[in-house]
Order: sequence, then structure tokens, then C-alpha cells
Amino acid sequence: MDAALFLAPFLAVYAIFLLAPVGQALYMSGFNWDLLSPIRQFVGADNYLRMLWGTGIVWNISHAWLPRLLVLAVTALIIRSLLRQGPSKTAAVVTGAAGVIIAVLLGFHPGPGGAWNDSGFWNSLQNTLVFTLVSTPILIALGLAMALLLNNARRGRSAYRAVFFLPYVLPISAVTLIWSYLLNPDRGLIAGALGWFGVDGIAFLSEPALAMPAIIATSVWWSVGFNMVLFAAGLQDIEPAYYEAASLDGAGYWQRFRHITVPGLSHVTVLVTITQLIASFQIFGQVYIMTRGGPGTATEVLIQHVYEAGFKNYQLGYAAALSVFLFVVMAAVAAVQFRLISKDA
Amino acid sequence: MAHTTAPQTRIRTKAPAGTPRTQPQSPAARRRTVTYHGLMIVAAFTWFIPVLWMISMALTPNDSLQRSSSSLLPSSLTLENFVTALGAGELARWFLNSAVVSITTTVVTVIFCAMAGYAFSRIHFPGRRLLFIVVLAGLMVPKEAMFVPLFLMISSADLQNSYPALILPRLAAPLGVFLMAQFFSKVPVELEEAARIDGAGRWRIFFAIMLPLARPAMASLAIFTFVLTWNDYLWPLVASTRSEWFTVTTGLASLQSNFAAATDLGTLMARGLVGSLPLIIVFLLFQRQLIRGITLGSGEK
Repeated sequence: MDAALFLAPFLAVYAIFLLAPVGQALYMSGFNWDLLSPIRQFVGADNYLRMLWGTGIVWNISHAWLPRLLVLAVTALIIRSLLRQGPSKTAAVVTGAAGVIIAVLLGFHPGPGGAWNDSGFWNSLQNTLVFTLVSTPILIALGLAMALLLNNARRGRSAYRAVFFLPYVLPISAVTLIWSYLLNPDRGLIAGALGWFGVDGIAFLSEPALAMPAIIATSVWWSVGFNMVLFAAGLQDIEPAYYEAASLDGAGYWQRFRHITVPGLSHVTVLVTITQLIASFQIFGQVYIMTRGGPGTATEVLIQHVYEAGFKNYQLGYAAALSVFLFVVMAAVAAVQFRLISKDA
Repeated sequence: MAHTTAPQTRIRTKAPAGTPRTQPQSPAARRRTVTYHGLMIVAAFTWFIPVLWMISMALTPNDSLQRSSSSLLPSSLTLENFVTALGAGELARWFLNSAVVSITTTVVTVIFCAMAGYAFSRIHFPGRRLLFIVVLAGLMVPKEAMFVPLFLMISSADLQNSYPALILPRLAAPLGVFLMAQFFSKVPVELEEAARIDGAGRWRIFFAIMLPLARPAMASLAIFTFVLTWNDYLWPLVASTRSEWFTVTTGLASLQSNFAAATDLGTLMARGLVGSLPLIIVFLLFQRQLIRGITLGSGEK
């Protein structure tokens, strides 16, 4: 049984450190499970109710109508591209059902005098979504733009690529070290540059409206090189003959971009988008080191909420329920990636 | 995309898309080239400013930084910050921790993944397809979301603040198995059959033929794993509560919440640089493998 021996080491760590924790999280989420005292009290779905429900919750059609319409629009777009790919009717139905259910659920909110059980959860979810939905398009557009620029270089390409990619290999705490001071209103480089124009330094990280944009800027600088590299590899795979033929036919730069580059990169773009959505949704280090979720709770994100539920409030059962939520959301996005990858395998 | 050629050879042989092959440049084309490089150099320099500033501050004496730190050029030069960074404080210990954790994780991950990848792509056994799907499904489990149960597992085994705690959970890397399986499935079967006819057993074939062939794929996986492990933040933060068990990444972060650090900014920046140095060196030496690892790892190829 050679196969068993070859597989045993990996499967052992895989089962213990990847599969078992998922089961363990599900189990723990049913308990009032204190980190410090030996309390293990079965509470059923209470942790989930605490996370998702509140007092005096009402539903109406017009609440948060804009995000809900957006959810429906995005669902429609995904279904369209799924159906275009061919026989993936089940996937289209599942996506459609999920989209409609989310849009309906978003109509629930605390009525007059009501409140969420854990408003911190909803706040951190909202901040995470804002970060994800703002940073992802920037990271993709900028990564593509950089890759296109690199692709024009006949010389010095690897030097430019190295410069743009280097921040990605820095530890997050080195990145935050630089950027916390870069953005510092008294000592930072940006404050120094503003000083030349006679403008006072801006306290980016302690201004509620500016803290999240500052975190996004830091994240873009840190990780856009990753997407750039993926797009650059995708560009290399487009047949140069297409461009030559198009040029002979008199196609301009924009036409070549529109009709050769964009379709040629569609596969890469889907992968980059999904990878980026998953990565952005797991944001933690930048926020936790630079602002601790502040000012107030303006930048608190989901992972931080889980971390604090478990290790500041010692409520491991509730933290496990939050983890399960995180897991479900990310697994749903990753399922798309899984489909794409396993199709090649 | 069903490319079987190695990407790096393609990169070398192909001219950049959209530009004509080597021909004497017309004046207009030369002007375009100059403009292009001018713009790229400005962009690259701007992108690099944060790093340059960090280096500049690390080379500036702390007391001159207290007067002013908002300039890109050091007002006076010193190497003292680096001496303090390495001598005082716990950076040396964190560095050791990061090195032990990252190197062990990398070596073990590559070996485990190569073995499993080989089995999945080359050994026929019942349930192979199903088991491979189960492993691939692990890609959907977000590593960052499961730290609560992992913490409970580690602490009930009394492993908190130890190397096993920092290393073990990172070894479950389904992506690595996927990469290695893909690589091995492309190796011609004839190679293996020839060896078997010569009387080589399964293990001999694996170690003497397959592993040497897989060096490029293993190198990419190794570099990628090393960088991700060195830079991991959340798990070391959960797994280690005592500062002598911090890694460089969590250790540097712990210094930043300390407001006293504001008085020795130069030393702090020197610590940041020293802590990032292995990654910068790895990046400069193995840029191509790292980038290949990323490209493969995203499932693009």
C-alpha cells in the first residue's frame, strides 16, 4: 500500500489542523464556552441569535434598498456569466436563490426602540464589506494598469516589476510601521510635503472619515504587486500574433486593448477578483496594528471582532459562532474558485 | 488554459505584445521610449519612497529624528540604530523564532505536499478521485477564520508558546498538494516505467527520479511558503502570549503599540528593516520562483 504511506503525513496534518477545526468550531458555537473558567453550557442556537438577531426587529421592503438592489444586480450579472459559460444551470439556480435570500434578509433591522444584540458585529461586518468593496476594484484596476505598463517595456521590465512588487514581501508589521509614521500628522512625510504648501498635517488615522481610506491606501501599496504579477503572466499568454494581425488591420491601441487584451485576460481577471475578494475579506493586521479598529469603532473589522470576542471577552463559544459565519461567507466565494480550479485538474 | 510549457521559458522567448520586433527605431518611436521610461522611473521612485524613507530613518540618529523626521534624506548618518536593534531588545530572539518556524514549515510542507501530490497523480488506488476532491475542498476553508478552535486545540495540548504551536497548523496546505499533483501529472509515464523495468521500487523512483525533476515546482512552492510563513500575523499572535515566543512579524507589531517607541524612531525603523531583510534577500535572489509560485498558486495555470 504505497499510496497510503505517501499520503499519510499530509492527510494527518490536513485532518487534524484543517478539517477538525471546522467541526470543532461548529461544536463550540453551540456552547457558552468560557476561556478562563470551566463553564461549558449547551445553549443551542443562542450564539447565532446573539450574532444575527436583536430586540424589536422588523422587516420592510424599503430598508437599505440601495445595497439590496446592488445585491440583486450583482446576482443577475453572475447568473448571466454562469449561463454563458454553458451547462451550469445548478450553479445559476443556487446563485440566484442565494442572492434573493440575502436581499430579503437585508430588509430586517431594529424597529423603533429595538436594537441588535451585538451591534459591534454589524459594524465590523459593514467595515469589512466597505474595505473589501472599495479596495478590490482599486487593487484590480491598478494591478492591471501596472501589468500593462510593464508589458510595454522592452528593457528594464524586471527592474520596474521588482520595485512595484517588493512591498508585497514585507511583513505586515513593517508595512504598518512605515505607513503609520508616513501618515503621522506631526512627523510624517506627507505632513512634511503638505507643510511646503503651508497646510497643517492631517491626522489620517484618528479622523473617523479618513482612517478607512488610509488603511485602504496602505493595503493597496502593500499588496497590489501580487495582482500585477498575475496580470503580467496573463498578458504573456496572449498570442503576439493577434496583436500583429490587428495592427496590420489598422486597429489602434484602444481597439487592441478592448478586443484582444480584455478577452484574453478574462480568465485571469476572474481568478484575481476571487482571490482578492477572499484576501480583502480577511483583513486584520493593517487595522489591528494601525488603529486597533479606531477611532471609536470606525475601522473595526470582522476578524478583529472574532479575536476580541475570544481573547478579550473570553467567550470562545460566541467567537466560534462568528468564525462559522466568516467561514460560510468565504467558503461561498471560494466555491467559485474551487469550481474553476477543479475544472482544470 | 492548458499550457504545458514552463512559463519562464515563454517569457524569455516572446517579445512584449504590441511592440514591433527589433528594428531600428524611428525618431518618434525613440521619443516614445524615452517618455515611457521617464514616466516609469518617476512612478517606480514614488512607489519606493516609503521604503527609502524607512531606510533613511534607520540611518539617522534618534535625536535628530525627534527634531524632524519629515524629510527623505537623513540629516546625519549613523549605524548605531542597527547596533541597538540587534543588541538591545528581543529582535534577535524573534528573528531566531521566525527563522526556525519559517524554515521548518517550508521544508516539511514541500516534502509532505510532494509525496501527496505524487500519490494523487501517479498511484492508482481506490477512492483516489474522491480523496483528491476532499483535499481540494480544503482550499475553501479560510485559514484566518479557524483560529479559535485551533487555539483551543493547541492550548489543551499545552503547546502554547512553543515551536510546534507555531508550525503545525501551517502544514495543512492543500494548495501545495494541488500544485505538486499538477506538476507530476505532466511528467512522462515512460520515465517511470523505464525505471521500474530496471527494478527500481516506488520509493526509489520517487526520490531518485521524480523529486529531482520536480525541483522547479518545489522551489516555487518553497519560496512562496517561506514568505507567507514569515509574514503570518494572526496565528502567531494567537499562539504566543509571551514575548520570547513572538515572531518578527508579531514582535514588530508589539513595538508599535508602545508609545515610548516614538522617542527612538530610528531604532524602530532599523528593527523593521532587519526583520524584513530575509524576505528582501529571498525576493532579490528568487524573484522568478516566487512569482512563478504566485502564478501557479492562483490556479491560473
